[in-house]
Amino acid sequence: MVDRAFDIRRLPGAATLAITCFVILYVPMIILVANSFNTGRVIGEWEGLSLRWYAAALQNEAFLNAAATSLILATMAAAVATVTATMAALATTRSRGFKGEGAIHLILNQPIMVPEIVLAIALLIILAQVKQITGYTGLGYLIIAHSAFCIPFAYMPIRARLEGMDLTLETAAADLYASRFYAFRKVTLPILAPGILAGFMLAFVISLDDVVISDFLKSPGQDTLPTYLLGELKRNLTSEIYAISSLLLLISVLIVAGSWLVTRKKI
Amino acid sequence: MLDIRDLTKSFGKGDSAVTALHEVNFSIAEGEFFTLLGPSGCGKTTLLRLIAGFEPPSGGALVLDGQDIAQMPPNKRPVNTVFQNYALFPHMTVAENVSFALGAQGRPKSEIAETVGRMLNLVQLGHLAHRKSGELSGGQQQRVALARALAPKPRILLLDEPLSALDMKLRKEMQVELKRLQQETGLTFIFVTHDQEEALTMSDRIAVMNGGRIQQIASPRDLYDQPANRFVAGFIGETNFLSARCEGGQLFLPQADAPLPLPHRDGPVTLMIRPEHVVMGATQQESLALTAKVERLTYFGTDTHVHLRLADGATLVARVQNALRGGASCRDGETIPVSLPADALRLLPQEVA
Amino acid sequence: MLAKDHAMRSDTRRRWGLALPAVIIITLFSILPLVVVIAYSFLTPGDFGGVKWMLSFDGWFSVLFERDIFDDTVSLSSAHMTILGRSVALSLATTLITLILGVPTAWFIATRPAGQRAFWLFLITIPFWTNLLVRTIAVQEMIRADGVFNRILLGLGVIDAPIQIMFTNFAVLMGMAYVFLPLMVLPVYSAIEKFDFRLAEAGYDLYASRFYCLRKVILPMVRPGIIAGSILVFVPALGAYVTPRIMGGGKSMMLGNLIEMQFGQGRNWPLGAALALTLTALVLVALIWYTRLTAGGPRRG
Repeated sequence: MVDRAFDIRRLPGAATLAITCFVILYVPMIILVANSFNTGRVIGEWEGLSLRWYAAALQNEAFLNAAATSLILATMAAAVATVTATMAALATTRSRGFKGEGAIHLILNQPIMVPEIVLAIALLIILAQVKQITGYTGLGYLIIAHSAFCIPFAYMPIRARLEGMDLTLETAAADLYASRFYAFRKVTLPILAPGILAGFMLAFVISLDDVVISDFLKSPGQDTLPTYLLGELKRNLTSEIYAISSLLLLISVLIVAGSWLVTRKKI
Repeated sequence: MLDIRDLTKSFGKGDSAVTALHEVNFSIAEGEFFTLLGPSGCGKTTLLRLIAGFEPPSGGALVLDGQDIAQMPPNKRPVNTVFQNYALFPHMTVAENVSFALGAQGRPKSEIAETVGRMLNLVQLGHLAHRKSGELSGGQQQRVALARALAPKPRILLLDEPLSALDMKLRKEMQVELKRLQQETGLTFIFVTHDQEEALTMSDRIAVMNGGRIQQIASPRDLYDQPANRFVAGFIGETNFLSARCEGGQLFLPQADAPLPLPHRDGPVTLMIRPEHVVMGATQQESLALTAKVERLTYFGTDTHVHLRLADGATLVARVQNALRGGASCRDGETIPVSLPADALRLLPQEVA
Repeated sequence: MLAKDHAMRSDTRRRWGLALPAVIIITLFSILPLVVVIAYSFLTPGDFGGVKWMLSFDGWFSVLFERDIFDDTVSLSSAHMTILGRSVALSLATTLITLILGVPTAWFIATRPAGQRAFWLFLITIPFWTNLLVRTIAVQEMIRADGVFNRILLGLGVIDAPIQIMFTNFAVLMGMAYVFLPLMVLPVYSAIEKFDFRLAEAGYDLYASRFYCLRKVILPMVRPGIIAGSILVFVPALGAYVTPRIMGGGKSMMLGNLIEMQFGQGRNWPLGAALALTLTALVLVALIWYTRLTAGGPRRG
């Protein structure tokens, strides 16, 4: 028998477990997608390949409304979170320390330290009364609530990018007659752009992923895709659920692939 | 054109305050290549940053063309900097970098295009105008940084150790290039370096700094030949120091056979002589005659360093050119006569160590 | 000096001004509600949900204890203790499973040639970014009564009737392990990727066996990533709501579901608030433990 060359990077059994891990991750998702193409109404009874349930979903008013709500909500919340997180990142980085720096840090990270369900009931308690007092029941509550828990996620990549930025670049801009605003627009912002984009995408996905908070805070008719899915799940399992799930899965794949391409191009 | 008056800078406050510059005074003339030379932490970079406006001074005045600019923000000062790490904007092309200042000043497009073209030709980078700055070599980045700082036609160009990141060969080329650029443009350069050779070869005048104070301002030749104090003498070139005394117009060196007539104020002095002036053997010139033991010879190609030990244990280094008279003819352990010619001796005030 | 103080003060003002919008949003929509929860936990439950503004410690009392209706004897609330114990136990088990699968996977990815690494990472990021609910539905499809497992086993003749896996602790565990697995892989991967393999070479050069090198050189360097991954799995697992709701139904409830129940059918808002704060406290303990642990280790970048 020939001795296998000693490979420092080999960890006995790691490859086997890793492949097992990928199989475990992907088999359920593949089966889910496969089910969505089933002609039959009852899940598991394979009756042939069709796009019937996608067609059904696309004609389903409730689903379309939920999709629109999700899209608007995620876009608005991510936009608010990204803008405020960018400002906050500019405020907290590259300082020699200032009064209240610790407090700002703590506040900015607070939402990720509290379990989602706790935040959900906390918001439910307070917003139920606010809705009663003001009479306003629009999407605004959800947008700001989503912004709040998206801020820490948007903040992370923007802050990292800012901290990696060479401070002398702004000094150089000032030396070359740029006003503060001109330097920010022409130097800081373009260099920050990939971080801001990453922050926006992160916030968008986090908002889109949320089930609990949306489910607790929504006013009638404000179903998002996940809360609509959750509601349908309570009734019964139909192939349409699988079609909708597959669509959500497709969105994730597109976002991951998109961010992959964007970061690739930057290098 | 630039007068620096009692310029002071301290960092921190209260007990932890550190003074980086102590009441610095000097003037720079139009078109001069002026160098700030000193070891790291001597305050040369701080002084440059004060002139650029990146830090406010703690006291004193910076008078440019009759106007005190000490409180003027950097983006209003007609002074530009070539940064040590170049600080090129990574998201812009070479041309965009060079046009940055003109854009910030809101100059017309046609003027910008014309100036950028001229600047890139000046630094011989016309063919790389549309490259991103990250795709350039160190030497090319250096040229872009120069072109960028020159484009807005500053009154003074500040260069903060711009050659320190380049390798030896490239650095020599850039030294020549910088000097050519300065002569062609007739611009005033203030150049910061810790490399004495760089300073000596390029500068019209050099300010040697140490501990936040200017030690001496002089031309390279005067700095080398007539150092004002022990620090300058030791920092520039190699030097021998010996303790001596002056009394009644005579210089007494304890190790020497006889005193030397030399008019000087009475008292202890530090005697300084460059290794290349130490003569091996006796000489007809007026000189101090000593006896020394050869300890070690170090071969340097063009010349040989002879390490000598005097009777009382003091050391002396002599440099002998290998091309002359077959180089150093002595051998290790030999005891030989040594002469210190009077015209090569410099007397410095004795400093408390 | 005075001018400098002034400059510093104006810098502080500018920074606070920039951070203000984010600070206000989070304060109003995350911190303030939490304060209200604290207040509610000390009130009396209303008759049809909500609260009466009367001070009461019953909410906190009921987190752990119950009072006999007839003789007022106080005993540990077995229902709550079961759910609390289950939440902690299932979260720990989830962390353990994801460690066993996730660490070798991270190692596997980190030791691929540079060109292939992006592909394998891509495979991990897709489930990472996919909606939690969708992934829970995918696991459910595998193990429910007429799901994939049971069909295969029935088809092979191994079993005669479907095995009931849904609505058990095991189902919740499988669901959570599946859902949180990518959260373990990514931080461990970035720690291993940063590891300088010349250190392992040095270890082997100094006569270390594979196991000795792993224990003495590799693990200590990769430890921060493993701790980060464990925390990233344990904390959301402890507060999980969606996955236990679908996989466990009413039978295998976790803390998150118990809390929700108090605001729904239970109609005991103060108890719900007290339970929510208990959960938050448990999470904070885990996070503080984490910062202690990482602060003690070697500091990097």
